[in-house]
Amino acid sequence: MAQTTQSTLGSSLQTVLNPQGQPTGAFEPLSMAPRLDSLNGKTVYLVDVGFAGGYEFLEELRAWFSRNMPAVETILRRKQGNMFLDDPELWAEVKGKGHAVIFGVGG
Amino acid sequence: MERDSRNHGMNLRFSFTPYPVVGMSRPVLRRYIEGQDPISGKPLVPELLEALTKPLADQEKNAERVERPARPRLLEPDTEDNLQRLFLENGWTDGLPIVLPTHERVAEMLLGTSHAPDEVVGRMTVTTTQERIEYTVEKVAVNAVMAGARPEHFPVILAIAATQEPAFPSSTTSFARMVVVNGPIRDEIGMNSGVGALSPFNFANSVIGRAWTLMSINLADSRLGETFMGSQGHNLNYNNMCCAENEEKSVWEPFHVQKGFKPEESVISLFRGWSVINSMGAANAVRPASEETVIMLKAFPALRSAATLVMDPLVAKGLKDQGFKTKQDFSRWLSENVKIPAEQYWGADIIYAFVAPLARQGIEPFASWSKLPKDAPIAPYHDPRQINILVVGGETNPLWLTTDFVYTQSSSVDKWRPKGGIRRDARSIRMPAAVACSDGTCGIG
Repeated sequence: MAQTTQSTLGSSLQTVLNPQGQPTGAFEPLSMAPRLDSLNGKTVYLVDVGFAGGYEFLEELRAWFSRNMPAVETILRRKQGNMFLDDPELWAEVKGKGHAVIFGVGG
Repeated sequence: MERDSRNHGMNLRFSFTPYPVVGMSRPVLRRYIEGQDPISGKPLVPELLEALTKPLADQEKNAERVERPARPRLLEPDTEDNLQRLFLENGWTDGLPIVLPTHERVAEMLLGTSHAPDEVVGRMTVTTTQERIEYTVEKVAVNAVMAGARPEHFPVILAIAATQEPAFPSSTTSFARMVVVNGPIRDEIGMNSGVGALSPFNFANSVIGRAWTLMSINLADSRLGETFMGSQGHNLNYNNMCCAENEEKSVWEPFHVQKGFKPEESVISLFRGWSVINSMGAANAVRPASEETVIMLKAFPALRSAATLVMDPLVAKGLKDQGFKTKQDFSRWLSENVKIPAEQYWGADIIYAFVAPLARQGIEPFASWSKLPKDAPIAPYHDPRQINILVVGGETNPLWLTTDFVYTQSSSVDKWRPKGGIRRDARSIRMPAAVACSDGTCGIG
């Protein structure tokens, strides 16, 4: 008897509500910074955002630039605070002194 | 990653190394740099250089607002079997069958509150880098129905939803969560704070904990491999250790009162961490519970000085007899007496990630700790306010759980109650078992 009831319920059409929340789209679009024609003579910031291993990786990347592209000045920096926190001071420094930035995300 | 950047309204140029980076030796890191991006297949460094010098495409120069279309309120009609399959295939469940959220069931759930169905409860995301998803009272009701909840549970579920905290924030480390209920609502809806409170027996504990999980999936857009990247995941996420504090058997102040609520208020409190250690036997059988707790706390990295103890009422009674008149007394004692070598503290990955930056910024006590010799003892639980104590259990054995959980926030249940009072079934469903022992003696020996 129970099986018959289940079978009947299973074959009838049901309308159910969508369980998902609504996207908010609460962000403003930003264009990317212009690219450089060449890195020669330019300053590239290497910024570690805080995930473990990222700083060590960027140290090795900096060493690669020293060996292979000495005309590029690299500045290795750690972002202040943990990986989830903003660092406006560093962003201002990068804009003021740097020509490009590579963010390193370890983990 | 590309979706992540689009959600910020900005394209970014990504390159990838093999994974993981953490813990790799210098020669391995050098091989990563001299090797290829495993996603694109291109040599890594040339790809990086190109990312800095290749002219921008139109889409990169002129970022356009990316809006996902509004999701329809109703799904296409279908059979029960097909709808169950649809929910599973779309990743809208916890992998278990759900109660289908029909109009009738959702309407009945909405009787569990006086708030309007279209009232916005909040916005949630499993990761702060993703777009936040907005949800209404009705959306919470839909997920509550799916979890198997009844209208009497709805005010508690809405209180959880109002925190805007997901049950499993996306982290490759795989968080565990706990939700604990205090106040009169515990008994009104038949929550279990006694024997087996953390086991899968009690109806209210089970469906409330599950509702938080389903809300995190559907209202915070948790998608495996896309927005959720926990490497191993966490089994506690099925129910999030949902339970009630055993205020009646506790010799100490209820947790919500510690947080500034009145005893007669009903409140949910949330905790987040990773690890749970069961006490290694009964309290005071050989070693005092206080000393045993010190040993267990040393196993954790003490991030944010946080720990949460979930102890049977018998353990609390024993500690009070030992001289700890309040929970705060015991937290202070633990803060002073848990000591580990500086090397152990700084050697934890999670401390490296979250605390080392504070030390470099000169923030105390971390700056001073970072200058200590390796074997110098430090008291890593330096802030006793972050050591939380909850009394849960049925006095069948004086045991306790030691966790690395941090307390995140509490939220009122009462504002979500229906004006006519809690609606409940005429016959209670799977109420907690009566506690056979009321004086504590049955749990010893």
